[in-house]
Amino acid sequence: MTGVSYLAVAPEIILTAGAVVVLMVDVFARPSSRVHGWLVSATYALVAIAIGFQWRRVGIDGTGVSFGGTLLLNHLSVTVRAILLVAAVLGTAAAWRMLVGLRRRAAEGLALIMVATVGFMLMGASADLVMTFVALEVGSIALYVLAGIMRSSPAGDEAAMKYFLLGAFASAIFIYGGALVYAATGSTNVNEIAAHLSAVHVARPAVLLIGVGLIVVGLGFKVTAAPFHSWAPDVYQGAPSGVVGFMAAVAKIGGFAALINILTGGFERYSGAWGDGLALVAAVSVVLGTLLAIQQSDVRRMLAYSGVAHAGFILTGLAAGLVGSSGVLFYLATYSVMVVGAFAAVTAVSGQTNTGSSFEEYRGLARRSPVVAAVLATLMIAMSGMPLTTGFIGKFQVFTSAWESGYEWLVITGLLASVAAFFFYLRLVVVMYFGGEEGDGTTLVVAPSIRWVLVVSAGASVVLGVFPSPLLDVLNRAGG
Amino acid sequence: MIVTAGWYMTLAAILFLIGAGGLLLRRNALVMFMSVELMLNAVNLTFVAAARAHGDIGGQMAVLFVLVVAAAEVAVGLAIIVSIFRSRRTASVDELSELSG
Repeated sequence: MTGVSYLAVAPEIILTAGAVVVLMVDVFARPSSRVHGWLVSATYALVAIAIGFQWRRVGIDGTGVSFGGTLLLNHLSVTVRAILLVAAVLGTAAAWRMLVGLRRRAAEGLALIMVATVGFMLMGASADLVMTFVALEVGSIALYVLAGIMRSSPAGDEAAMKYFLLGAFASAIFIYGGALVYAATGSTNVNEIAAHLSAVHVARPAVLLIGVGLIVVGLGFKVTAAPFHSWAPDVYQGAPSGVVGFMAAVAKIGGFAALINILTGGFERYSGAWGDGLALVAAVSVVLGTLLAIQQSDVRRMLAYSGVAHAGFILTGLAAGLVGSSGVLFYLATYSVMVVGAFAAVTAVSGQTNTGSSFEEYRGLARRSPVVAAVLATLMIAMSGMPLTTGFIGKFQVFTSAWESGYEWLVITGLLASVAAFFFYLRLVVVMYFGGEEGDGTTLVVAPSIRWVLVVSAGASVVLGVFPSPLLDVLNRAGG
Repeated sequence: MIVTAGWYMTLAAILFLIGAGGLLLRRNALVMFMSVELMLNAVNLTFVAAARAHGDIGGQMAVLFVLVVAAAEVAVGLAIIVSIFRSRRTASVDELSELSG
């Protein structure tokens, strides 16, 4: 069981090989963007097949442990891979026009998207703190470079620098937490930590407590939970809009998957203590994210602060422990689709690299481009958690599990914040539909790849909101 | 007086705090970046001291991984800082104020 299982890392191997092939073909053949498209599509298709095989294997053999106990092959890790794959496919399509515009550097962008996906996939499968750290950095470093990929744009540089400095700070905090846990328990493997904690009385509980706290803070930075969110608005505003949705989605998926693995895998015994801690961070994130989002006059910063609030809602489910994790996965899956779609709409309206996306640009969008306006309105309504959308189902799931675990105050805080959040989500809808005629009034030309992302994300948010049970059944197996 | 692993871990904690303080207080991107490296080295010292105390090789292995990751961060971080310096002739983060609101 602890040997080497290539099936356990098959999607990561395929993605890494795909990234190398894309780069090498680019160097030697200088292919057209069409060739890149085929290579990337083939890679994603193979990854999907590998994930299917993994799911079947887990169904037959149960949880598998490989690579010296550092990697898990279970329903959770396979589900996280599937969610990341969806985010990567949508994110690549949303970034396609921008990357093709980079001409010779298009392959770099595509490879970076794939490598980032590999890193966060490994985070979801990792059962070892050092492995989680390496996976986190593989994903994060790729994202720092993606943020600054438009070298000519000063705002992109600035976003990359801010993301890099605060990201590196967060990673250092995370691994220092890991080192303290190792000092207290003698292992970095979450299963061995759990075994140690149940067998032996910990000599220095303070060291362990600080260690777990620093791990949560480090991952909190990555998932933009308040009060560790300060980088998010600047980075979302300055990075090229084509890749921001992808960045926002995958960092959250990987970070929350790692939190589930570490907290429920290694520290289930102390779930009361970290549950309360997470509940506090969740409440701060929900309230602060909502209040700050209301004040924004820029759509990207508004989406960044709404991301902080969404991180709070996901933490609400996580505070409930293992019972909440299927709701957490549903929320993560649907939020990533929504955020990639929303930033694809921003790309369609403001252009690939434009740094400002003020509400003014969206005035009268319904007349300039009915499709983009309809999609953006659908996504805003879904994010606000209106019934018949995935946002409602996701919030319902996390609130139910939090209520059952005794966090009634947190659920009430979340509900109040959701009501307040209607204000800024619907403000954008009102500006688009009833904002009057502004600008030149010309029709908006939307690239086919972006139109595809828009239709898929809005469609998924509604269809899965009306018929959530198939997805919920799958996720219940992953979370249970 | 016997110097135990705890002394090293205390030293590491002090180094980590100096690094964190430097990152939060200094305004030059290069110095902030050096502070991150100091924090990672504090992590390494903690791992080695704990590995010695536990008589376990795992912590020493972890140090190698942290070193590799730190090297990768240097490669990307310096590239970003150089790119900023080229376009603006400064490495002070106070000058980076295109984005705010």
